[in-house]
Amino acid sequence: MNRTHHRHRAPSAVLATALAVLLATATGCSSKADGAGGSTGADGVKSGPGVTEKTIRLGALTDLTGPYATLGKSIVQAQQMWADETNADGGICGRDVEIVVKDHGYDVQKAVTAYADLSPDVVALPQVIGSPVVAALLDDIERDHLLTFPQAWAASLLGKDSVQVMGTTYDVDMIAAVDFLTRKQGLAKGDTIGHVYFEGDYGANALEGSTWAAQKAGVKVVGQKIKATDTDLSAQVSALRKAGVKAVLISAGPAQTASLVGVAASRGLRVPVVSSAPGFAPQLMKTPAAPALAAMLHVVSAAPAVSSDVPGVQRMVAAYGKKYPDSPVDSGVLSGYNAAQLLGGDLKKACADGSLAREDVVKAHRATKNADTGLGSPQDFSDVSRPAALATYVLKPDAKAAGGLVGVEDAHEAPGVSEYLASRG
Amino acid sequence: MTALLDSVLAGLALGAVYALVALGFVVVFKASGVLNFAHGSLLLFGGYLVAVLHDDLGFAGALALAVVATAALAGALDRLLLQRGDPDPRAAHVQTIVTIGVDIVLLTDLSRRIGGDLLSLGDPWGDSVTRLGPVTVADSRIAAIVVSALAIGAVFALFRFTSWGLALRAAAEDTEAAALMGVRLTRVRTLAWCLAGALAALAAVFLASFPAPGLERTTGQIALKAFPAAILGGLASPPGALAGSLLIGLTEALAAGYQSELHVLGEGFGDVVPYAVMVAVLLVRPTGLFGAKGVARV
Repeated sequence: MNRTHHRHRAPSAVLATALAVLLATATGCSSKADGAGGSTGADGVKSGPGVTEKTIRLGALTDLTGPYATLGKSIVQAQQMWADETNADGGICGRDVEIVVKDHGYDVQKAVTAYADLSPDVVALPQVIGSPVVAALLDDIERDHLLTFPQAWAASLLGKDSVQVMGTTYDVDMIAAVDFLTRKQGLAKGDTIGHVYFEGDYGANALEGSTWAAQKAGVKVVGQKIKATDTDLSAQVSALRKAGVKAVLISAGPAQTASLVGVAASRGLRVPVVSSAPGFAPQLMKTPAAPALAAMLHVVSAAPAVSSDVPGVQRMVAAYGKKYPDSPVDSGVLSGYNAAQLLGGDLKKACADGSLAREDVVKAHRATKNADTGLGSPQDFSDVSRPAALATYVLKPDAKAAGGLVGVEDAHEAPGVSEYLASRG
Repeated sequence: MTALLDSVLAGLALGAVYALVALGFVVVFKASGVLNFAHGSLLLFGGYLVAVLHDDLGFAGALALAVVATAALAGALDRLLLQRGDPDPRAAHVQTIVTIGVDIVLLTDLSRRIGGDLLSLGDPWGDSVTRLGPVTVADSRIAAIVVSALAIGAVFALFRFTSWGLALRAAAEDTEAAALMGVRLTRVRTLAWCLAGALAALAAVFLASFPAPGLERTTGQIALKAFPAAILGGLASPPGALAGSLLIGLTEALAAGYQSELHVLGEGFGDVVPYAVMVAVLLVRPTGLFGAKGVARV
């Protein structure tokens, strides 16, 4: 009995020593990072976590193995391309840019762990995928003053100093969608429209916008709430037809859009359908619903189509195609690259102001009133409670175009958007 | 009226596909007392095979191969993993938990392969529809009803008229007595798992074909909707599974079709309905619609 005790003690002593050493190195590491906080380098620029004399380290919390793996890969590659281009150009503030990528597979718990792991050593997060992930990390991000560009557009993410939703929010998009329907698709006062939406922040925020706009236009909205696992929308189409809808809005995933439009077309409910930006993916144009999508669907988005003739977009698409010839160019590439460029601008500005400390990067970001990366509408980051842009594009599917979409209407602010934002306070 | 017919037809078609899945649950449970939580990922496995093979083999060839391969995988799962454990029938709980692990492993790998893609299965129905008076029905749904009816009929016939069916029913009734009468339990059991696998692959085709846009990594989760169907039918009763599935399919379609009238119950009620129906049925008949009353000797 005694002997076993002794036997155990020896390894546990070793273990304890090993642990102590590990702890010491770990704290050593982080104290090095923290120690850099507030210190001023040889070039007179104040640095902070994630910034050394030679590098600026950024972080990405992405999904490379879960439901948004395709999107995650596009964004990671696009932002890596931006980093390579920036470094070839001499970097930012005389430092090389480095992006540390962590995969969370769309699992909130893994994402929280990954954040804890990543956050001490980076200065900003140009990519966080997943609304539930962003929601879970919101307080931590605010506390750490870590400037973050989430790939989510719910209005509930506004009002946080360190979190920057790019472009428009879902509600603004849907106001533009109702406006498009009344202007171009013959929707008139007294008509009824359907809105099929996901449960959760995304759908709820979109429905808020459509309800407001419909009320202004004298139109009635019939809501149909669905889940991500609903991929056969026959029953919803039946209900919409029964309600006599003249048009349908959808704020869901690509699979749901394809089913909705395909079923509606096959049942003779040939009405215009307008989708939120996340409701479309180029892969849809390879499904049986492709002809119906081409005939009936429009997409409202704050970003232009990847196939658009905006010079900045064309240059980026060409460079991306050259660097990653086997990867499709989708909207994720555009939005990822745009986020990286915006962050690059913030870092340069912060450097010019003499500090790359996190809170100063956030400050530089919030001082930007007219950020134009040449990839779509300019954005205003000075008011945390308002979307960064109010202008939206109208796009439509085209199987032959890069990214599966072509432009229909250029970016413009839909009437009523400003009034809506004012009414929301 | 048209709307009602629409919803009823959609519900029947949905119920027919659920029945294929629910029958898989029931056959496995009857033969081995295991609730197979890996059924959804077996389904996804079958669908994935059809998706990647249909270009080379054609739809029929790919489907045939997928059915055989999924049956083999399910059989192997039972023979190589589950049957190695404690042969005591009470160990079925342990095996049930093992299937949860298998589900996670299979699902993780398949999700990695499928990623964010929507895979087309190359089925011959495409998005064509048939008009039946005032309503239209997708051809794939008609095919689903016909194929489900045939498959379910075949399973019933297997149960009733073959020696395997007899052995299975005997084993389900009293394992020990059946073994003493010379029933080869392991073989009976493995065959049941194979049958469930084959049904799952078949169901995958109809779950992924029009009006659904294609096979996704979440397609397997739809199998969970057939779970309440199997339970409310009485977990060991094939006719119960059929009735339960049709009931669930119909209520789900009607609840979604009349969502605005059911507003008082909250939006998205259609998703809750399978479980609400299950609870309601179990309250009235605790052993399910067709479940046998257990007789316990004191």
